[in-house]
Amino acid sequence: MSAYAEIAVTTNFSFLRGASHPGEFVGQAAELGLSAIGIADRNTLAGVVRAWSSLEEIKPQTEKPLPKLLIGARLVFADGTPDILAYPTDRDAYGRLCRLLSIGKLRAKKGDCTLFIGDLLEWRTGLLLAIIPPPRGGGGWAGLENEYGKRIQRLAEALGKKDVWLAAALPHRGPDRRRLSALARIARGAGIALLAINDVLYHEPGRRELQDVVTCIREHVTLDEAGKLLEPNAERHLKSPEEMARLFRDAPDAIAQTQIFADRIGFTLGDIQYNYPDEPVPPGKTPDEHLADLAWQGALRRYPGGVPDRVVEAIRKELALIARMRIAQYFLTVHDIVRIAEGKEILCQGRGSAANSTVCYVLGITAVDPATFDLLFERFISQERQEPPDIDVDFEHERREEVIQAIYERYGHHRAALAATVITYRARSAIRETGKVFGLTEDVTSALVSGLWGSGGSDSWGEKKHARMKQGGFAPGNPIVERAVYFANQLHGFPRHLSQHVGGFVLTQDRLDEVMPIGPAAMEERYFVEWDKDDLDAMKIMKVDVLALGMLTCIRKAFALIRQYDPADYTLANVQNEDAAVYDMLCLGDAIGVFQVESRAQINMLPRLRPRKFYDLVVEVAIVRPGPIQGDMVHPYLKRRKNPKLVEYPAPAPEHGPADELKEVLGKTMGVPLFQEQAMKLAMVAAKFTPEEANGLRRAMATFRNLGTIDKFRDKLIGGMTRRGYTQDFAERCFKQIEGFGSYGFPESHAASFSLLVYVSAWLKRYHPAAFAAALLNAQPMGFYAPGEIVRDAREHWVEVRPPDVNSSEWDNTLEIAAGEPPVLRLGFRQISGFKEEWWTDRIAKGRGNGFSSFESFARRARLSKRALIILAEADCFRSLDLDRRESLWMVRRLPDDDALPLFAAQFVEDIPAETTAPLPLMPLAEHTVADYQTMRLSLRAHLMQFLRERYSGEGAMSCAEIRNARDGATAVCAGVVLTRQMPGTAGVVFITLSDETGVCNTVVWPSVFEAYRKEVMGGRLLFIKGKIQRSAEDVVHLIAESFTDRTQDLDTLSEEDVRLPPGSQIEDLAYPKPDPRAPLHRHPRNVRVLPKSRDFH
Amino acid sequence: MDGAAARLGLHPGKALADARAMVPDIAVIRANEPADLKLLEAVADWCERYTPLVALDLPYGLFLDITGIAHLFGGERAMLDTIRRAVAAQGFAVRLALAGTPHAARALAHHADGTIVTPGGEAQAVAALPTEALATDAQVVHALKRAGLKTIGQVAERTRHELAARFGKGFIGVLDGTLGKSKPPLTPRTPLPDLMAERRFAEPIVSADDIAATLLSLGENLAQVLESRGQGVRVLEASFFRADGQMRRIAVETGEATREPKRMVRLFRERLDALADPLDPGFGFDLIRLAAIFAQTLVAEAISFDTNEAARDIKILTDNLSARFGPSRVMRFQPQDTHIPEAGAVAVPAQHADPDRFAWAPLRLADEAPRRPLRLFAKPEPIDVLAEVPDGPPLRFRWRRLQHTITQAEGPERIAMEWWRHAEPQPTRDYYRVEDERGHRFWLYRDGLYERETAASRWYVHGLFA
Repeated sequence: MSAYAEIAVTTNFSFLRGASHPGEFVGQAAELGLSAIGIADRNTLAGVVRAWSSLEEIKPQTEKPLPKLLIGARLVFADGTPDILAYPTDRDAYGRLCRLLSIGKLRAKKGDCTLFIGDLLEWRTGLLLAIIPPPRGGGGWAGLENEYGKRIQRLAEALGKKDVWLAAALPHRGPDRRRLSALARIARGAGIALLAINDVLYHEPGRRELQDVVTCIREHVTLDEAGKLLEPNAERHLKSPEEMARLFRDAPDAIAQTQIFADRIGFTLGDIQYNYPDEPVPPGKTPDEHLADLAWQGALRRYPGGVPDRVVEAIRKELALIARMRIAQYFLTVHDIVRIAEGKEILCQGRGSAANSTVCYVLGITAVDPATFDLLFERFISQERQEPPDIDVDFEHERREEVIQAIYERYGHHRAALAATVITYRARSAIRETGKVFGLTEDVTSALVSGLWGSGGSDSWGEKKHARMKQGGFAPGNPIVERAVYFANQLHGFPRHLSQHVGGFVLTQDRLDEVMPIGPAAMEERYFVEWDKDDLDAMKIMKVDVLALGMLTCIRKAFALIRQYDPADYTLANVQNEDAAVYDMLCLGDAIGVFQVESRAQINMLPRLRPRKFYDLVVEVAIVRPGPIQGDMVHPYLKRRKNPKLVEYPAPAPEHGPADELKEVLGKTMGVPLFQEQAMKLAMVAAKFTPEEANGLRRAMATFRNLGTIDKFRDKLIGGMTRRGYTQDFAERCFKQIEGFGSYGFPESHAASFSLLVYVSAWLKRYHPAAFAAALLNAQPMGFYAPGEIVRDAREHWVEVRPPDVNSSEWDNTLEIAAGEPPVLRLGFRQISGFKEEWWTDRIAKGRGNGFSSFESFARRARLSKRALIILAEADCFRSLDLDRRESLWMVRRLPDDDALPLFAAQFVEDIPAETTAPLPLMPLAEHTVADYQTMRLSLRAHLMQFLRERYSGEGAMSCAEIRNARDGATAVCAGVVLTRQMPGTAGVVFITLSDETGVCNTVVWPSVFEAYRKEVMGGRLLFIKGKIQRSAEDVVHLIAESFTDRTQDLDTLSEEDVRLPPGSQIEDLAYPKPDPRAPLHRHPRNVRVLPKSRDFH
Repeated sequence: MDGAAARLGLHPGKALADARAMVPDIAVIRANEPADLKLLEAVADWCERYTPLVALDLPYGLFLDITGIAHLFGGERAMLDTIRRAVAAQGFAVRLALAGTPHAARALAHHADGTIVTPGGEAQAVAALPTEALATDAQVVHALKRAGLKTIGQVAERTRHELAARFGKGFIGVLDGTLGKSKPPLTPRTPLPDLMAERRFAEPIVSADDIAATLLSLGENLAQVLESRGQGVRVLEASFFRADGQMRRIAVETGEATREPKRMVRLFRERLDALADPLDPGFGFDLIRLAAIFAQTLVAEAISFDTNEAARDIKILTDNLSARFGPSRVMRFQPQDTHIPEAGAVAVPAQHADPDRFAWAPLRLADEAPRRPLRLFAKPEPIDVLAEVPDGPPLRFRWRRLQHTITQAEGPERIAMEWWRHAEPQPTRDYYRVEDERGHRFWLYRDGLYERETAASRWYVHGLFA
């Protein structure tokens, strides 16, 4: 029996054409006993690494001979040339193929590739080419053969005839055999050989249906309209050598040629030798020497009092390993990028496992001293893993762009590009697309999708399908909907398009476009490669993650503000360590704005965990994560913290090992595994995983790609642990935790890096609340809280906050410093919706001089358009000119309507005709407050709930403060404005935070209550929530919701009627009262009619 | 938005996604503004029974000028009640008010349903209405309310020059109109295009010839109007008003737009002759009206007299036949875009066929035998076949008790069924074109792929080649 190699394989990386994953093709090829399989997607190499990885994965599992994997592309031309399959024979030819594809991609817009035959002629050396006959034209057979023959002959001649084949498939269209003999004659006439292909689109015939579906998606038609756009049969699957031999019995040589073709190819992806760039290495030094120099210099800087012995030892050990693994350039490259940022005074800090490295610490890449933590370098790099290390560096989010530009400047576009992100079909996008294909209206698919609300990470349609369909108003079993959902499930995980990774840079010494194709991104002057993070990992190609972190921006801005009044020049490194007052504050759960611990779950955890030292923050950051929560590790840990006597270490049966074998692994966390690497170590120690297996487990957790393999590890882990005498329960919890880490795990080193920012931001909040609040506001959007919450929190911490004013404000929020007084926060124009930055920079800032004395002088010197003046007046910014909101608006409205020529407005003001009018009615406080919210989304005057308080008290509704002090188990009604709605995870529980003038009230809505009050829960802005008070041991109070009343319409009355504050209220001044910490002011929706959304997280 | 939606807490201006989050199974219907306008026009037409002067107040309002006619309906209150009852009976929610100026009436209708203002009482009647009642844009309303002017009365107290400086002269017009100080004229609706011709007879006509002659002359009138508009007619309706008050409507349809009077009359003739319930003139018709129900642009080339002549004749024939026998009795094959042979064409009423929509794909090449049989059986007939497995061509087959030995065969042409139309998987067919020893050609297929789909494939003959 003759061998057969299929070289025309279109995977699902030819988007919406192929209907199987690359790995499925490889698996099926192995199953069928093909001698080789060639992956040739349309003008792309995006799927080849996955095919290669799949083959590598099968290798150790089977004794059978495996197919040889051929890497190629199907070149699709823009000039009418028939498609040509191109396969490089060696590494150089592969480089040329990459160049060729890159050229085509650079010519086109993102995601496209425009190739001409001339490109192929230029780069064809070393490529094996198979011409795919074009679809036939009109005319008769004889003419057709003639015309075809000539075209192909010309093409073959242009390509040099050598290494050129004519591909022939038997598509079962009727005259297959006539066609085959005609192609044979044409090939003979052109002097090239005929090559058998099946031009496959899917790995097995069952995928024909999905292929039809993706064709419809591609062509934007329904199945009913698709007609002959679809294939007439299911023949385009991988076929066995026997079947191919039988089909091609008239042309056995075409089958034999496939083997000749495959044998000619000597290139595998394993041949790609990747070179690190070595820019920063000075002449005469090796990279290793240079790295050592930098490390020792850095060590002296980090330890001015003398480098401790253990640090010296750690650096020596690390340098030796780095040299052995030849990755010194990688460290130098990252160091170089960090230095570039430092030169521009951009704050940056390494995150992730790099924090395990002392070398990274002394080079200034990371900020946590690994020696003080016992962080292990082996967790960062290990020789047996044979993978490139992964260093992620966070930069200030507003200035990351500068870093990226600097990287391009240094390395050039041909050596630096972003990694790709493969955007795949998720449950929502899949059901939307398949719904269209089955002719479902958008309403129906939207209803199906809305059933997915809040489904978080695991968003496939599993067992909940029926419930969701019912929720969407469909009878389960509706065949069309069933089918749409079935194919949506199949489509789930299919690649959809390639996009750029947020900040993962691939850098090379040689041309990057000879390692992999590069194409333009949507953003000008931005390019990305075709491989994603996992592909790059598999190919052992280095990537530096240049990430953006809002908190770094905030911290730098805060340091800059503090310099205005405090001579100490603070940096990340010199903030007072381990300050008790900072921990006191955190223990109270007073953490709004603090990095990482400001979410509601974290704020609830703080009083329970009571952090007293830096390592507690590391635990705090890591513990409120899906891993420890799913593994049910949180409560055991908290119990042990309260009572250290409870600390115990699960132990194996005595005959299996020492009873304290886990003490080393879990010692730091009181016997409870909390960090990702502890779980790994546990697998090795307790379940006797080999390092490779543990590594496999880690990878299975980290990527969705290997979803299936995790079950294998499950049996092994639980089986291994119970066999050695651990309890079934502990083993299962460990595994659950590992699963939880899968999507959102924190390794200890990463938590430690983040904890430094937690500490610094908490320190800022404790000692410089005004500067911290201003910096937070100036770094928006970031974090969990809207500006109103940040301002309220600052005022609760005795910060005086002043409203924006044309004589005092700048674009940013600023501090007003007076000797002997604490700094005052002055709101900036950026808080005003619709205000443009250039109105400040180009107009107000230039015209202000020593201040504006009157509205006329402001209009004349600032020369703003009428629209800008209205926005300023709406925001009540003319108080320093003795004009309140109503007066200034009435005045501004008089100006001529000429947005384009602000000069006219200015002139008009100068010779504004005198106007004597009756005074306008005084604007009541409630209306002022509403207007504040409408223009700034916050008010310094009052909380809207104050105006409703008297009325609501009469109805028996309690304030948030009253709820806080209510008795455990009591039934109460709380009235408040909805601040946030959260639906974490898949449990269906909704958390609603209500706010009023006395603070906030946290409510929990169980799924059954949610379903009954869905419209109030989802739609209400002002709610009455009736429920039971639940008070925890740590005095955290929740209201467990039982019923809801939507009172949103009450807000409308506030600006319509002259609502007065209840008597005895603190606020009487219509202007701006001093902050009263007992009556904190809350963020409130901005517009009473169309209230802005609450912040909803799901 | 309907009342049920309002009860669920939804309101206009809410984002659809938010509404869906609140009420997951909400039914959403896209606003159809042209349809709304059409409906409003229809209500306006209907209201012309009260007054000839009806004006639109877009998007959902109407002005009726009832100057001097209220007494016909028993006074203003009675008239208002009559209109309210009559419009409400058609399923509308109605708000009405009566005032001396349109602006005042509009403001009161929206905010004080049922008000009737005594002459000169407008300013007082509207004083308490909210500022929104003014027919001005939302920005002006917002500005007024920000200034603390929350009722029309408060606005009216400000000086005119103060308001004019801020909101323009147009605003003063609106304000004064609302206060009853000025009365802008109503803009009557543009009359509907008149695509109708009618003739009244002093002496009712009875004979078929007179009727035909009348239709012809009406058709000529219509043709003139149509020609001036560059239009032709697709659906025509003749209304026959009998002297005794009875009325009969007869409609005819054409396959293409036309404005030839003779052709129109011919169609009516066919139709009238074929009526199961013949037109009974009784004492004669005193009014015959011919109306173009559906007219469309008639491109000039369609009435040229060159090569389209034959096609045109066919169209005239189909029109005539359809008028006589009914459109669904005159059918024509229309190609369909599908791989499935028996679904390749469907019969549709000839007047509605659009044979160019899916041209027959040129399946066969110029110099080869047809790929599809000339005669395709409505129901494939089972046959006994000797063929090589799995997908070899048939060698011999028995059909209708006759044995055929195959001398030539080509295939298979493998056609899989349209899986999404069937609940159960359908067998794939392998079609062969075969020729027997007598030179007869057949289209056979194997039903079900051997071993992949079935253990024993069945065979059918699906058609005959010429």
